[in-house]
Amino acid sequence: MKLKVFRYHEGMSAPHYDTFSLEEEPSMTVLRALFQFQEQFDDSLAFQYSCRGSVCGACAMLINKVPRLACRTQVASLLKGEQQIALSPYPALEEKVGWDPSQEVLVEPLPHFPVVKDLIVDRNAFFKSYKFMEPVIKPESIPPKENLMDPSDLPDLELYTNCILCAACYGACPVDGENKDYLGPAALAKLYRFHIDPRDADNRRLEKADINNGWWACDFHGNCRQVCPKGVPPIMAIGQAQAELMEKKEKSEDKK
Amino acid sequence: MDIKPLEKEKIPYSELEELEKECPSQEKEKKNGISSLDDEKEIISKNILSNIHQYDVIIIGGGLTGLRAALQVSDAQLKVAIISKVHPLRSHSVAAQGGMNASLANVPGENETVDNWKIHAYDTVKGSDYLADQDAVEIMCREAPSTVIELEHMGTAWSRLENGKIAQRPFGGAGFPRTCYAADRTGHNALHTLYEQVISRDIPIYEDFFVTSLVTENEYCVGCTALEILTGKIHGFLASAVLMATGGFGRLFNSSTNALINTGDGQSLALNAGVSLKDMEFVQFHPTTLYGTNILITEGARGEGGILINKNGERFMGNYAPNSLDLAPRDVVARAIDTEIAEGRGFKGGYVHLDLRHLGEELIKERLPGIRQISIDFAGVDPINEPIPIQPGQHYSMGGIDADKDGKTSLKGFYAAGECACISVHGANRLGGNSLLETVVFGRMVGDAIIEEISKGSCKEQNNLETVQKAITEIDSKLKIILSRNTSENQFKIKESLNNTMSSKFGIFRDRVVMEKGILEIEEIKKKLSQIKIDNKKLALNQAIIRFLELEYLVQLAETVAFAAMKREESRGSHTRTDYPSRDDKKFLKHTITSLQNKKISVSYKPVVLGMFKPQERVY
Ligand SMILES: Cc1cc2nc3c(=O)[nH]c(=O)nc-3n(C[C@H](O)[C@H](O)[C@H](O)COP(=O)(O)OP(=O)(O)OC[C@H]3O[C@@H](n4cnc5c(N)ncnc54)[C@H](O)[C@@H]3O)c2cc1C
Ligand code: SF4
Ligand code: FES
Repeated sequence: MKLKVFRYHEGMSAPHYDTFSLEEEPSMTVLRALFQFQEQFDDSLAFQYSCRGSVCGACAMLINKVPRLACRTQVASLLKGEQQIALSPYPALEEKVGWDPSQEVLVEPLPHFPVVKDLIVDRNAFFKSYKFMEPVIKPESIPPKENLMDPSDLPDLELYTNCILCAACYGACPVDGENKDYLGPAALAKLYRFHIDPRDADNRRLEKADINNGWWACDFHGNCRQVCPKGVPPIMAIGQAQAELMEKKEKSEDKK
Repeated sequence: MDIKPLEKEKIPYSELEELEKECPSQEKEKKNGISSLDDEKEIISKNILSNIHQYDVIIIGGGLTGLRAALQVSDAQLKVAIISKVHPLRSHSVAAQGGMNASLANVPGENETVDNWKIHAYDTVKGSDYLADQDAVEIMCREAPSTVIELEHMGTAWSRLENGKIAQRPFGGAGFPRTCYAADRTGHNALHTLYEQVISRDIPIYEDFFVTSLVTENEYCVGCTALEILTGKIHGFLASAVLMATGGFGRLFNSSTNALINTGDGQSLALNAGVSLKDMEFVQFHPTTLYGTNILITEGARGEGGILINKNGERFMGNYAPNSLDLAPRDVVARAIDTEIAEGRGFKGGYVHLDLRHLGEELIKERLPGIRQISIDFAGVDPINEPIPIQPGQHYSMGGIDADKDGKTSLKGFYAAGECACISVHGANRLGGNSLLETVVFGRMVGDAIIEEISKGSCKEQNNLETVQKAITEIDSKLKIILSRNTSENQFKIKESLNNTMSSKFGIFRDRVVMEKGILEIEEIKKKLSQIKIDNKKLALNQAIIRFLELEYLVQLAETVAFAAMKREESRGSHTRTDYPSRDDKKFLKHTITSLQNKKISVSYKPVVLGMFKPQERVY
């Protein structure tokens, strides 16, 4: 049972990998394994964490060549060959390093972001896209009590409000890898979340991403939906937004 | 100086690429061949100044409390910044599941009775075992309905009733279905909502900044210092008011439902700045947390019919609570499980089983999907086929920074709110659903109090750079000394023994003899702190040093918990003394105050604010 970890810090000529034999613990997650590494092997290992319960989104990284939350991924089941996800390929998934999946868990930083140190990446680009979407409710007016909402509207909305902004999808999206300006799955899903919120009065939400690097840049690989730890389907939002925009355009063409 | 941290401004996307990734505070001096001594001096002072940031209000903590307060202060046109050791969305608030209490009365009680804030206040005071300050409780419960509605207006996706109103569910210790919820992700939904509002106002956030000290001058809090984790640089912040909103200290114990970052930094920082802590002995334990990771398994699992079973296959709750069985109040169930384990009827490692199998696949999938997922992900157990291994775990810190209902502390210019504070709405025992409420209500109210103080001009104008420069230098050399040590103690082992001491000696059951041992152990641990060696000698992105500083904070809090628990010779709420099994209002209907005097913890007391409700025996 071993952990093979990507190591890099500023000033280093090239990254390398450290391998560490894990002491078995009951239901050990990759996050626990990283702590073991930090506590017993090298206290300079850097990685992000907070909740350890797959709700805060801090610990997304590339584990056995799949973007996942370290705190939600069981070491034993990886070694047993479970939890495999077949992703549409992209350069970051290519084997750059040999590893034996039956003995070792391979942990690398989330792709498509600059590496700051070891497993810590700079997620600024991700949050810039998020902010670009103006992710805040824009109500028409504010009623004295709560807005009434049909409970049957909620399941669709919750599909998108469940996003924890972990950026796993961004690291899994082949288009984000190629095109740094692509807004990315999570930001688009966030925009869609406000579009379908019955309380939101901005009826030009979708137009915000009606640009080359927005809705239309998606190639429908579907990796986003596959890796999302919260079952959010950005690809569905993108497909629906494209269809709605096309319909809108057709209608306005007709009017002309 | 008006420095905004990096990229918090709204930037048109097309321009994003051009913007370099750097914090203005990290601006590199342009070297242009300066030679004269004067110029050099100027450069040096400029360099220092680039580390110092000035605001009207500094908020430490980006959880629900901090974000809500920031909105209030920003809307009053004051210059405010948030400092947080993690991205605000990674704050512990995000993990809250069950909900937020408010007497909206959207769901009628038994026999069509109607809820109101006074009944909410009564439940809260009774739940607190009469140790809550009733003036603060009144504010919280009165403000609750408008607070939940305010979040709704800001965009929170609350769960709904058929009639479209916000849904409410019953919760322990409440006379009405009063808990508003957003599925089992209430904290997540509320935190994302407030973050969205903060972002839309462009409020600067210094994220990954770890606060290292409060800066005081003439008995006035003038700001704080913080370690920029990424670069290892120490920054100074000057403000007319500083609000502490750093959350709880669950990681003092070895089994806790709290996020790993909940290390009580704010309480310890306050203590070191001469501010007292209140009621630190009151620590809430939740009966059902997942064995191993101690992730919360909500009460709902037992509400749906789940039962607790010991190693011998016995349903043991009948021996402890013959009527309410597995659904007895939290403290009762936690004590029962702990007793089973202590008497050898738990499984190896110290846990019992929560069995849901008899509920059937359909019900589990429909009503407890989150619990099923957690069990599968974190214990490798599918509750449809196997019982869930559970054990009690630390859950909430009722005690904290001694603050009044305006969040004011004994230090002028320094405020506290949220779980790090003890405004004293929970007393000796918090009711589920009341702490999310507390964060948002008091985030706003304390924000208002700060605005008022500043507008009255009673806050000191902060222009003394020297004091903060001195504080920066102090921290800088402290950290360098720590890194230069070539001693041999391992901080992770020390943390483990601290956790073991706290859980075994100051856990669910307490008594003098055991606690005396515990206090000696804490003293030993404290001595070892200065012998800890950190191998990583670089200050930039050094998690070992962050963890060391957190450990220092925790050890200090351990002492306050220990002394406060030792001196309270009664059982009240979460504080159970086997040697003093009953409540003693004559002697102990009062708050415990712990403070630092000559580097030693001293304990004193302060009256409880009564009023609406007279103390009675607490029976359910
Ligand atoms: C599993 C779980 C479930 C819960 N469910 C419920 C529920 O259903 N209902 C309910 O009412 N309550 C619930 N609670 C309690 C509730 O979630 C917390 O009390 C509340 O969220 C605390 O919020 P806060 O804003 O005070 O602090 P937090 O959300 O903990 O935020 C603290 C902030 O301070 C920052 N910080 C800390 N130290 C430093 C430092 N040194 N320097 C810089 N920044 C720092 C952190 O980065 C963070 O941003 C639950 C608690 C747990 C553990
Ligand atoms: S959509 Fe899923 S994978 Fe993407 S950021 Fe949100 S939670 Fe993470
Ligand atoms: S640590 Fe929070 S999601 Fe993994």
